[in-house]
Amino acid sequence: MVELKNVSVTYSSGVDALNNVSLKINDGDFAFVVGSSGAGKSTMIKLLLKEINATSGVVTVNGYNLNKMKRRQIPEFRRTLGFVFQDFRLIPSMTVYENIAFVLRVIDAPKKYIRKRVPYVISLVGLQAKSNSYPDELSGGEKQRVAIARALVNDPKLIIADEPTGNIDPELSYEIVELLKGINDCGTTILMVTHEHDLVRHFGGRIINITDGEIVFDEVIGGINEA
Amino acid sequence: MKLSGVKYLVDQGVENVWKNKMMAFATFCVLLISLLLVGASVIFYFNINSMIGGISDKNEIAVFINDKADKARITEIGQDLAKIKGVSEVTFESKEDAFNKMLVQMPEYEKIFESLGNDNPLVDGYRVKVSNIDEVPQIISEIRGLNDIYYVKASQEFVNVLKELRRVVTMVACAIIAALAVVSMIMISNTTKASIFTRREEIQIMKYVGATNSFIRTPFFVEGMVTGFFSGIGAFIITWAAYNSLFELLTKQVNVMNVIGLGNIIQFSSIRVYVLLSYIIAGSFIGALGSVIFTRKHINV
Repeated sequence: MVELKNVSVTYSSGVDALNNVSLKINDGDFAFVVGSSGAGKSTMIKLLLKEINATSGVVTVNGYNLNKMKRRQIPEFRRTLGFVFQDFRLIPSMTVYENIAFVLRVIDAPKKYIRKRVPYVISLVGLQAKSNSYPDELSGGEKQRVAIARALVNDPKLIIADEPTGNIDPELSYEIVELLKGINDCGTTILMVTHEHDLVRHFGGRIINITDGEIVFDEVIGGINEA
Repeated sequence: MKLSGVKYLVDQGVENVWKNKMMAFATFCVLLISLLLVGASVIFYFNINSMIGGISDKNEIAVFINDKADKARITEIGQDLAKIKGVSEVTFESKEDAFNKMLVQMPEYEKIFESLGNDNPLVDGYRVKVSNIDEVPQIISEIRGLNDIYYVKASQEFVNVLKELRRVVTMVACAIIAALAVVSMIMISNTTKASIFTRREEIQIMKYVGATNSFIRTPFFVEGMVTGFFSGIGAFIITWAAYNSLFELLTKQVNVMNVIGLGNIIQFSSIRVYVLLSYIIAGSFIGALGSVIFTRKHINV
């Protein structure tokens, strides 16, 4: 669950990135966050990852009050989340398998569990055949599927996807969102930031529009395929 | 943290040494030189101490008598010497004895001595043993006060030279160590920085997926330690080789050995283990410490 209560973020340069934003995303929701660049989307993501702190207001993610959180609690908190980035951020010197197993190593999971869990999530995103390939040998869509598998591997309650379709072919974008939808159907909350309106219109669901640091639209709309 | 996790991090650290081999090599060299200079200073220091100790054992004063003095006067001087407070033993050494001794000690000068024929250039003298080495300067001045004394020589004077040498070496070594400590730290800082730079994406991802600070830092710690460890081994091998060749060179120099005393140079075999352990511990420690300090500085975890 994500909850922002009267949150404002003012950067030291004096720029108001978020202005008195209140928002609640319940467990199991799928929400698109849209808005033009510079509107405050990235600031919101950074806020949810606890990369930056709110200037005022309360941010609660997965039961953690981020305002009151101590630095040494950050790793523990981040283990309850999964991230997907626009630029994939796979480690080029590691194979698909290693890139995903890496997350479990970081959280000190037992070897046995890693050996079982990693092939399972790879099969969820349909990349069994590419398990031993390096990121350079994959297409953009495949890379993003690896990134999604990586976000999924430690079974997070919430996945934050920051423009996950930004660097891949439009026709493959649908595939990626379908995949995220599928994960959402299994109970994981998904927050997807995008500026591809076609995609949003196609899938529908909850749309949150941030403009100039404020939420100007937050409603559920019907998608084309559902209509 | 489980053992498998520790093993993974150690493996990562060792792998990093290879990935950043150029920087690791630079650090290795700087650490090696630092260790060598410090090690050489310390070993030299111990050798001088050993020499000072060896010479102190002798605590002997050589008294040479004016060759104008007759037999009776010489005996008288002997009695006077024995009366001086602090003198424990007085032995007479005739100029013939001294000449024969010299012939044995300096065989290469035999021809020169032969050319002298029966004209012995040496003088009669006494060897005076002193019970307390600290009284030597005072006893020397008392001996000099006696009549018919040609020359007084004490190994104490050589001890003073050694002590002065030890002081200078200690000072120079301290200055070198301080300078090298700074250089080593800068090198380790740069290696760590390079290592962090090549792995910045990985570190970023680690942070996002909830890696603890110690998890991120441990490979760097291992990297520094491994580099330092090998520097220690390298320094040991070089010290071993250099020390042994220097030892051989010195022991061949009879003149030098007469002054120093053969047994007073430390045999490398007797200090080998300590030298190896000190180098390895110092190298690993400095390497690891440097990495930890600079990982803290460069990774904003």
